[in-house]
Amino acid sequence: MPASFADATAPLVERFNKSQSRIQLSVSRGPLDTDAVSDLAISSLLLGSSPYDLLLMDVTWTPKYAAAGWLEPLEQWLGSGALDDLAPGAELGNAFDGHLWRLPLVADMGLLYWRTDLMPEPPQTPEELVAISQQLQRAGKVRWGYVWQGRQYEGLSCVVVELLQGAGGRWLDQGQPQLNSAAARNVSRWLRDLVILGITPPSVANMTEADALQTFETGDAAFMRNWPYAWAELNRPGSKLAGKVGITTMVGAVGVPHAATQGSWGFSLLSGSGHQSAAIEVLRFLTSAETQTELNRRWGYTPTRLSVFTDPALIAENPVLPELQRALAASVLRPLTPIYAQLSDLLSREFNAVITGEIKADPGMEQLQSNSERLILSSGARG
Amino acid sequence: MGRTVLLLWSLGPMLWQLYSSLRPTQALTGVGSGWTLDHYRQLLSAEPPFGHYLVNTALVGSSSTLLTLALAIPCAYGLSRLGQRPARQISLVVAAAAAFPAVLLFLALLEVARDWQLANNLLALSLPYAGLCLPLAVLLLRAAFREIPLELEEAALIDGLNLWQRLRWVLLPLIAPALASTALLVFIFCWNEYPIALTWLSRQELLTLAPAIARIAGSSVYTIPYGAFAAATVLGGAPMILLLLLFQRQIISGLTQGAIKG
Amino acid sequence: MRWRLWLLIAPALALLLALFIAPLLHYLWLSGHAQSVVTGLEPRPVGAQQWLRLLNDGRFWQDAGQTLRFAVCSVGLELILGLAMALLLHQPIRGRAAIRTITLLPWALPTTVMALGWRWIFNDPYGPINQVLQALGLQPVGFLANPALTWLALVWADTWKTTPFVALLLLAGLQTIPEDLYDAARLEGATRWQCLWRITLPLLVPYLLIALLFRLAQALGVFDLIQVLSGGGPAGSTESLALYAYLNAMRFLDFGYSATITLGSFVLLVLLGGIGAVLWRWRPLAGEWR
Repeated sequence: MPASFADATAPLVERFNKSQSRIQLSVSRGPLDTDAVSDLAISSLLLGSSPYDLLLMDVTWTPKYAAAGWLEPLEQWLGSGALDDLAPGAELGNAFDGHLWRLPLVADMGLLYWRTDLMPEPPQTPEELVAISQQLQRAGKVRWGYVWQGRQYEGLSCVVVELLQGAGGRWLDQGQPQLNSAAARNVSRWLRDLVILGITPPSVANMTEADALQTFETGDAAFMRNWPYAWAELNRPGSKLAGKVGITTMVGAVGVPHAATQGSWGFSLLSGSGHQSAAIEVLRFLTSAETQTELNRRWGYTPTRLSVFTDPALIAENPVLPELQRALAASVLRPLTPIYAQLSDLLSREFNAVITGEIKADPGMEQLQSNSERLILSSGARG
Repeated sequence: MGRTVLLLWSLGPMLWQLYSSLRPTQALTGVGSGWTLDHYRQLLSAEPPFGHYLVNTALVGSSSTLLTLALAIPCAYGLSRLGQRPARQISLVVAAAAAFPAVLLFLALLEVARDWQLANNLLALSLPYAGLCLPLAVLLLRAAFREIPLELEEAALIDGLNLWQRLRWVLLPLIAPALASTALLVFIFCWNEYPIALTWLSRQELLTLAPAIARIAGSSVYTIPYGAFAAATVLGGAPMILLLLLFQRQIISGLTQGAIKG
Repeated sequence: MRWRLWLLIAPALALLLALFIAPLLHYLWLSGHAQSVVTGLEPRPVGAQQWLRLLNDGRFWQDAGQTLRFAVCSVGLELILGLAMALLLHQPIRGRAAIRTITLLPWALPTTVMALGWRWIFNDPYGPINQVLQALGLQPVGFLANPALTWLALVWADTWKTTPFVALLLLAGLQTIPEDLYDAARLEGATRWQCLWRITLPLLVPYLLIALLFRLAQALGVFDLIQVLSGGGPAGSTESLALYAYLNAMRFLDFGYSATITLGSFVLLVLLGGIGAVLWRWRPLAGEWR
């Protein structure tokens, strides 16, 4: 699993190992970067001698891994009620092709962070976000208006998904790409305009979550798009922005429900595992309400279970929880398909080209549309 | 003047890494100040500790170097004693192999590793490494062998020394500088190799330096671990710097002896 | 006696053949198949489909151009700088041994290691280059966020690392040139420039060729530097063929197409080598240096 989760679950794993003597659980601390974790997992699976039993996976990997035959369906172990306690939004992305492949550990969704000391209310539409940013920049309150993830990588696809949904568009509809729609053109034009208007720094084209947080944390920006983990960092003792930050869902067009890209992490059982029943026991423990409560209390991770979200004691400790639950309920998935990685690669590449001004928004989206159509055709996959 | 520019160009980026590795993460973005050894402490106490990767890499490097020399010495000797025409043709093949970008091989090597159970085996990694280093090693050593006058070997032959004895007592000592520089070049190659290590090794505790560093995670999810990266650069580069300091003279004289003409 | 010599050569040749020929044959087979998540990772014969896909794949051709651009620029720079460096290191200057060692250092550092360092050095706005620019009152430059600049940043990083290797080879060559040649030329009143042009360079040609061959091969296969430093971005402007093949295999799990890309790159490489060889023999260019 990625290093961050390995660190967060370390005390729990230790407790689990002490609580019984049959199963000895050891956690392999992977890299931080999602793509690097994926490379590591894939190379170990391809080499055929994977030492792992359970894999902590990003939501977009599931169909690819399942199609490659690396995962074991979970419904035979967990029964059909496995997802009953999950909060609305968290149940998405665990099943594919009629089987349950994954049980979520933490939920993750795209959030808009805003500065409560600079404005009374967060913006609701793209236009409002631009207006507030420009006003604050003109007044010299902040250097930049809005920072987000614009590097050519998965993070940019996440940025696009929620904006696209919020503009009334879709990435895929019935397996067919919809990327030359008016909504997609508007979104890409808006992102480019943010750079032209000076609301977003040009370096956004190389920004990841950590870069954006770096800029926001120094007080240089009024808004940031990031995942829930940033909340704990921004409010840690000694932070310049402690108590001055609010979270909400991403802006969207009037009349369209706001959307948040889902990015949850969950456990899957590997079909090559030699200890499947033991692994299921571990999986139950690690996704339990007790574990999730602990992870939220100590590390600020977002739970997926309804019973944890509604735990009054936890809400008292962590008042932002209901806001997170609302965002989770508004969450949208990225396309569930084995060729998602290719589709996303095309999308982030083309949007990055629009952001850097390599290509105009309209021809860019036409090109993306035709490239995506050709990919689906030539790979022979359903989108 | 030229000297100053040269030193600045070579050392500047490295000194910046050294500086970054000693600064607290917050200080790197202009907030806070002071010096710290935290990045090093964190690397050395990680699981597995950083020293582990150094040992792995040194192991792969040494075994690959030995294997390369074991194959290249007889081959180079044979080529240097073979007639003009066949030797030229084979040398051409070897040179062509040298001009082959190694990265093109990774996909096939991945399958080899799976089918022959060579994955996650540090010694097995020596096979492709030795193969990739062979062209350069053969070219260098062949040139060195050719420098040795034939009469010397004939005299040894008359003294009744067999091939192995001739190599061991007469020829190899004479090409020692070329041997040393070849060994160093091979070792440095193994120390730096990335794509094949990336596909052949998936167990964290077996990783060699290059993929390990590319996967380094910092102390905190919130920041890009530039400090830790920088510390890893310093720790991973230090052994090489030491080697160079010790053997700089040998490398250059060895290459000269090699007089590596086609 | 003859066959014993062949016996000595055989093991090394066998390993070379196994390592270089067998993969090519395997790619040839694989490029006639679809093997991806869509086929459940089982190979399924598809004829020439993958090759048609490759020919129509604008990205493949774009990457080929970008790879060539990167290789030509960085190797060209490395040869020029490497020659200057070698000439400087060849002179009897004070502290020569120490300076030689220091100059060689960049080459001994693993590429991935320094690539991470470069990412930090080019950082906008916190990296040292941009700190200096800002201190001078200039705007920070987004080295890694601008398609027109990022590939130059890569050339910079690559040149920094591998120039010492070129310099080392050329230095070895310089040491084989007898000093009397220069003495004789000086007696006849030749300038330093003429000495360089008439004596040094012609005698260095074999070394320049070796350096060119090795460096070009490595630069055309550039992978680790790009993967770590820019990830192929922005806007795909720094993606190399090797990175594209890697993405297809390890991220997209499309092995059939990855093999086709690899083999396609190999074909282009052979073509390039053929053109190079023809140019080399072409009289007007061959001149007196050979």
